[in-house]
Amino acid sequence: MADDNKGPGALDESTENAALGDALAAEHAAVWGYGVVGAALGGDARQQAAAAESAHRDVRDQVSALLAGRKADVVDAKGAYALPFPVLSAVDAAALGAVLEDGVAAAWVRVLDQAAERSTRELAVGVLSAAEVRAVGWRAAAGRTPITLAFPGLPGQ
Amino acid sequence: MSATPSPRPPGFSRRTLLAASAAGLALLAAGCSSPPADERETVTTEQADELATQVAVQEALVAAFASAGAADPALAAQVTELAAQADAQLTRLRAASPGGSAPVSSPVAGAPAGPDARVWLRGQVAAAATSHATASVDQSGARAALLGSIAAGLRGQDGRLA
Repeated sequence: MADDNKGPGALDESTENAALGDALAAEHAAVWGYGVVGAALGGDARQQAAAAESAHRDVRDQVSALLAGRKADVVDAKGAYALPFPVLSAVDAAALGAVLEDGVAAAWVRVLDQAAERSTRELAVGVLSAAEVRAVGWRAAAGRTPITLAFPGLPGQ
Repeated sequence: MSATPSPRPPGFSRRTLLAASAAGLALLAAGCSSPPADERETVTTEQADELATQVAVQEALVAAFASAGAADPALAAQVTELAAQADAQLTRLRAASPGGSAPVSSPVAGAPAGPDARVWLRGQVAAAATSHATASVDQSGARAALLGSIAAGLRGQDGRLA
């Protein structure tokens, strides 16, 4: 049951579905992007990228099923995405991994902000936390500072 | 405080992803078509009390950083950034709290001296993260977003302290 939150712009299934649609789009992009990340890495780092890609596939499938079950719009993946910068080294790949996770985190914070269902917030906070844990690893590998963020996913980070 | 993202830039497509550069994904999620949280949210007494509880949890975490730093000066130097982030989180939580009544909390036990302080601090960070994550589920709107974000930030700190 949706939370009782009445008033102008109250949260309901439509606000939640819209945010979930954006989160799904971000997950599609992350799955695609990790293919690029993994291709530029070797050894353990490539395994790390593969594990991250798998995690995003799982979330993507979960959100797709959730939206489809509600007969809401299910955003499809694009065939390809333009990279924010060339990925020519392991450091570039780690930086892209951080960008992907930061983008996903922002989308899931948005879900928390717009969700009407408690179960959706449970999903969101779990996905958001996992994204930030992975992002910490990528920021460290990319030599970015700060390595940790006080407010992952919120504007201004 | 408003954890509600800023309005979506005109013409920005929700389906535009990496093409929008490094900030693209963040902008995607920053799109907002609803009124600011302050206009659309009512806070129940229960939610206010729970948020006050989370302020107390964060106060205890900030105190834990100080305690761990006193117990192990080398650790203090290593976690300066993390401690500052915990402090920033506390400031934001206080600003978001409508002033509910928090339960009287027990003072945090002091950190053990030496290398064990790091393990102890990590436990405090993880416990605070779990507490904020759980609380975020019972909140809504900007408060849920803020608590969830802070929980995620502390999960990241937990990993860094490992």
